Amino acid sequence: MAKILLVSENEKKGKEFQEILQKNSHEFSYADNPLMTMDIVKTQLPDIIILDTEVKKFDLKTVSKSIKSFENIQTILLSQSDDIEPELLKTANAFLQYPVSKKFLISTVNANLKTKNSLEKLANSNQELARSLYQLNVLYNTSSQFAGTLDKNKLLEIMVDGMDKSLSFGLACTLTFKSENEPVLIIYSLYKISDRLLEALKLRAALNYKSLFDKKEMPFELDINNLKIEKHVKHSIKEYDFSVLRFDGMFAPIALSENFFGFIEVFRETEFSTEDATCFQTLAQQVSLPLKSATLYEIKEQTNRKLERLERLKSEFISIVSHELRTPLTAIRNSLDILLSGKSGDLTENMNKFLNMAKRNSQRLSGIINDLLDLSKIEAGKMDFKFAISKIEPVIEYVKTNLEELAKEKNLHLITRLEDNFADIYADAQRLEQVLMNLVSNAIKFTPEGGKIELRTEVIDAKDINPVEMFEEELKKLKGKYLQVCVKDNGIGISAEHLAHVFDKFAQIETSLSRKVGGSGLGLPIAKQLLDTHNGTIWCNSKPDKGSSFYFVVPLSSEKNNFMLDLKQSLQKAKVNNSSLALIKLKAENELMQDLQKNVIIETYLNNSFKEIDDKHTSLIMVIPDGDKFSADFLKKKINGYFKDRKNLYPTYAIMYSYGVYPDDAADEVELIRKVNEGLRKIKD
Amino acid sequence: MKKVLIVDDEQDIVESLQFVLEAAGFKCYCAYNGEDGLSLAREILPDLIILDVMMPKINGFKICRLLKYDNKYKNIPILMVTARSQVEDKMIGEETGVDEYITKPFELDEIVKKVEGYLKVSSKQ
Repeated sequence: MAKILLVSENEKKGKEFQEILQKNSHEFSYADNPLMTMDIVKTQLPDIIILDTEVKKFDLKTVSKSIKSFENIQTILLSQSDDIEPELLKTANAFLQYPVSKKFLISTVNANLKTKNSLEKLANSNQELARSLYQLNVLYNTSSQFAGTLDKNKLLEIMVDGMDKSLSFGLACTLTFKSENEPVLIIYSLYKISDRLLEALKLRAALNYKSLFDKKEMPFELDINNLKIEKHVKHSIKEYDFSVLRFDGMFAPIALSENFFGFIEVFRETEFSTEDATCFQTLAQQVSLPLKSATLYEIKEQTNRKLERLERLKSEFISIVSHELRTPLTAIRNSLDILLSGKSGDLTENMNKFLNMAKRNSQRLSGIINDLLDLSKIEAGKMDFKFAISKIEPVIEYVKTNLEELAKEKNLHLITRLEDNFADIYADAQRLEQVLMNLVSNAIKFTPEGGKIELRTEVIDAKDINPVEMFEEELKKLKGKYLQVCVKDNGIGISAEHLAHVFDKFAQIETSLSRKVGGSGLGLPIAKQLLDTHNGTIWCNSKPDKGSSFYFVVPLSSEKNNFMLDLKQSLQKAKVNNSSLALIKLKAENELMQDLQKNVIIETYLNNSFKEIDDKHTSLIMVIPDGDKFSADFLKKKINGYFKDRKNLYPTYAIMYSYGVYPDDAADEVELIRKVNEGLRKIKD
Repeated sequence: MKKVLIVDDEQDIVESLQFVLEAAGFKCYCAYNGEDGLSLAREILPDLIILDVMMPKINGFKICRLLKYDNKYKNIPILMVTARSQVEDKMIGEETGVDEYITKPFELDEIVKKVEGYLKVSSKQ
């Protein structure tokens, strides 16, 4: 049952072959010129062509070549002699010598037919294999793309794109919901969509959706009148109508256990294979997991934004309220002062007593307002610090002078044991005064009459600090040498459970006591924040009825420490003002570095930049507030220019250079420093 | 008698300032909004002005700028009073020529001392 064509000029041969082959139920045709041959080849696609080498009127080689361009036609040569052109022989699948026996002809035809069929099968399976490989490749690529984004819409896009590549669909409908309770039908189509098809697709989506949940509760209500439509059309040369709905189709929900994200339905004119279905299902399943992550990420981001807004609102609220409170408070204090001064008339002893009471409490109120303002300012990063190399001695003196009177009134002994109080520290002395004033006035408040308050200072190495279990975590972070200040009293002390919270906001130990002694309950939290800004810390050791010891440490002044603190401050300012900051690192030999410093750097940046140089003067790191990558490049160009002009002095110069910019390259000082250390490269011409 | 102009929309504050300053021997003029304060300043040519920042119509900084950029009034010392203590405020204050900055709540004695200080200096000139 094959189609066989004989090309010959000998009609006798034609008749003979026709008889034999037709008897064996093969279809036979005959051609005696090239034109006719090609016509039959094109229209009938014969399985086997027998070429008679005895033709004289035309060149068989050309015919043979033309036939070869048709895939999978077996050619058999027919010849009276053994003598055939080798070129012609090369193109043939078999050879028959004329005259030929009936049996030999049939068996040769059959053998060639079998070969042809096997070849065809092989080609088919090869094609299938290639298709599967391609689909696998698409799956792999798509799933690696899934990992790259947390955007829900982008994820769905990647899925549909993967399906388009692997399935070549005509139309795909995805039902999903963008924000909460807002369903969207996203349609990807090869051609335009007619209006009535669109209505049909909407209805179909609604039905599909309802059928998915059957009697169960639906995650969101679907009203097709309010269903949003998103259309993506590839070509507008044609339009799809209802016929699409008769295409082969596949459907899959996009869901992960409890989470429902939507579903997808695809249509294609040709039938989908089992492999296609597997590929489709796999993609629909694969997208669910990243969709869940994306949902969680979205929720997290929303919560973060909400929290940030609340935090800002809180700071603003406190700030506004405090300011509003100040004006009436001023009027009250002014009136009391006028009355107490006696300028408005003489006062009785009782009047004096109660007016003083009112004055004391108005002072307390303004103290609380100031504390609130301070805390909100620190938390908003708006507190202005003036760091300088200073000593603790004047701070101690200031506190002693201010509180000695108060201690005497309560008959308390205020003792100082000062060591190393002239050591250099890098601090805002006014803020340290604030901390120490708070600690000592607390000690005065909480120590009964006749008690003892001791003020001690010493330089201490971080590893020699007596550990207090409750504050171990904080103390572990300390490294190097510090100045330690201790305020020790033998007052009422603090119980272990309260000790853990003394630095928390609004956590005064006993409310009744706090009412008696006054205070906002914010002094210690403020002290903690102030010391954090100094890269120091504060902690406490206490036993009820035995007394408390409050310790705080600030790092000793050193080039590195001071630089880091300045950098931290500048970064904080950049954050609050939404501006930038550039950090530049340079490495060069001592001699070169000195020259650079004197002649290039100082000239380029005089204003508010600051720098740190190591002991050997071979590496320099500098901060340019408000600087960006252009200011960093500017310095690089300057250095290059400087050395080009002095080629005779420095025939070869090796300078390593790198920079980092906040907020483009790093979010904090640690990251920024790491960035410049890792990025060091030689400056080239 | 030295003339002191007090401009503040808080009447209570104005009255207490007036009381202590008059007790200290100054002649006080009072205004309760920026507009009145400015016209009063131009009319009486005071020796010193105590000015609140937050006021309806014209705020303290604006009055300050208007007076300090006018040769006729630029030598009048201006004490700026405000409940706000933000750095930005101080910066605006410097730019507009505020002589001194006082944060609420303030001590009346402190203000009297400051006014006496300024007026002693300016009487020597």
